[in-house]
Amino acid sequence: MHQGDISGSKTWVHRLPAGIKLGGTLLLVCATAVLPREPHLAYLVPAALVLVLWAASRMSLRFAFKRLLVAELFILGIALLSLLAPEARPVVFSALMKSNLCVAFMLVLVWSTPFHQILMTLRGMRMPSIMVTTIALLYRYLPVLGEESRRMQRALASRTFRKGKRFQWRMLSVIAGQLFIRSANRAERIYMAMCARGWK
Amino acid sequence: MTPAIEIDHLSYVYPGGRKALSDVSFSITPGECVAILGPNGAGKSTLLLHLNGLLPEKPGRNGCVRIFGEPVTSETLHRVRQQVGFLFQDPDDQLISATVREDVAFGPLQLGMAVEETTKRVADCLRTAGIGGFEDREPHRLSHGEKRRVCLAGVLACNPQVLVLDEPTSDLDPRGRRELKTLLASLKVARLIATHDLELAVDLCSRAIVLDEGRVVAEGPAVDVLANEELMLRHGLEKPHSLLHRHPHG
Repeated sequence: MHQGDISGSKTWVHRLPAGIKLGGTLLLVCATAVLPREPHLAYLVPAALVLVLWAASRMSLRFAFKRLLVAELFILGIALLSLLAPEARPVVFSALMKSNLCVAFMLVLVWSTPFHQILMTLRGMRMPSIMVTTIALLYRYLPVLGEESRRMQRALASRTFRKGKRFQWRMLSVIAGQLFIRSANRAERIYMAMCARGWK
Repeated sequence: MTPAIEIDHLSYVYPGGRKALSDVSFSITPGECVAILGPNGAGKSTLLLHLNGLLPEKPGRNGCVRIFGEPVTSETLHRVRQQVGFLFQDPDDQLISATVREDVAFGPLQLGMAVEETTKRVADCLRTAGIGGFEDREPHRLSHGEKRRVCLAGVLACNPQVLVLDEPTSDLDPRGRRELKTLLASLKVARLIATHDLELAVDLCSRAIVLDEGRVVAEGPAVDVLANEELMLRHGLEKPHSLLHRHPHG
């Protein structure tokens, strides 16, 4: 859910105070989550709201669909249920609607609000400091890990002379393992750097 | 005069059993700039981590390392870390916040500085580091050189009396390296620089200490140590280009 470059686009949604946007998003997410567990006209209300906010904030389709796709992977697991038990289809439909609507609301929030403002608002809402720090570190280090993963993949590709999906999957698991170890090492160095500046 | 850094027979073995430092002793006076040289794996970074009490994990009471006369122990860690600023080799390890402002303010806020004073300190330090006006920038959108400067601003914001720098010019382009060198030269605090950048050591440091296999193998005026070609080659280093012959271009 890393932010794109939002510096260039300024709409009235962008200009709203972060607290209002965060509070409003939480409210909309909660309201959507308690909608009936079967197809219902009530879903049209959050759907219309999403469309209005999407258009008003001029959120890019590429930004939104790339991130929605990640959420879809989780939904797929639930969708498998409907294959096994046809009576579960209404539940699958509602899960699909709810999750996509909730993610869309969150996307409008992160699209239109600089991340540090979201963190400041969370601090202001008295969210436990350790949770805010964890979210801040996650946001800060996602691109670093992404870049590290890309570098490893490039380096591996430059020395890979075999074709075949099976081999590629095996290499992918090697990268994932290495990335995990490197992340653990980096976490240790980050902790040291934080301690060096007085972190307690 | 009380030395800024005093290391007295320091030895360290990593938990796996690898000996990293062996009977290391030297001292640095306030305001002095000293280079720590040595090949990869010589123990340079391990030594630097001891100055801030980051190694060993639980500093003992033996007081092998003293900062302005105060031994680095579990009880003194808080005070020692106020006095010793540490610039890590990889800026991404050090930049932890969502914006430059928050990152530079991290140290002062930990020290209990008031918010207004911190804001002013952040702006001052960013200006000193040559990146005034970067407050709202996000660290992951900065160049490597800019990240390094933000790290230095974050360290300077804690107003340290000793600066410990681990490979400060690695991965910098010539301009970034030159600007960082000028910046470091302008600081008046004691500086201990672990580096492979031998020209930086010639230009900036009055003294050099050569470390190899965890031992101090040479110590003296930087130009004398670095001009000793035989010593340099024996310990995986080389005589800097600027000392090989006179340059008409200065």
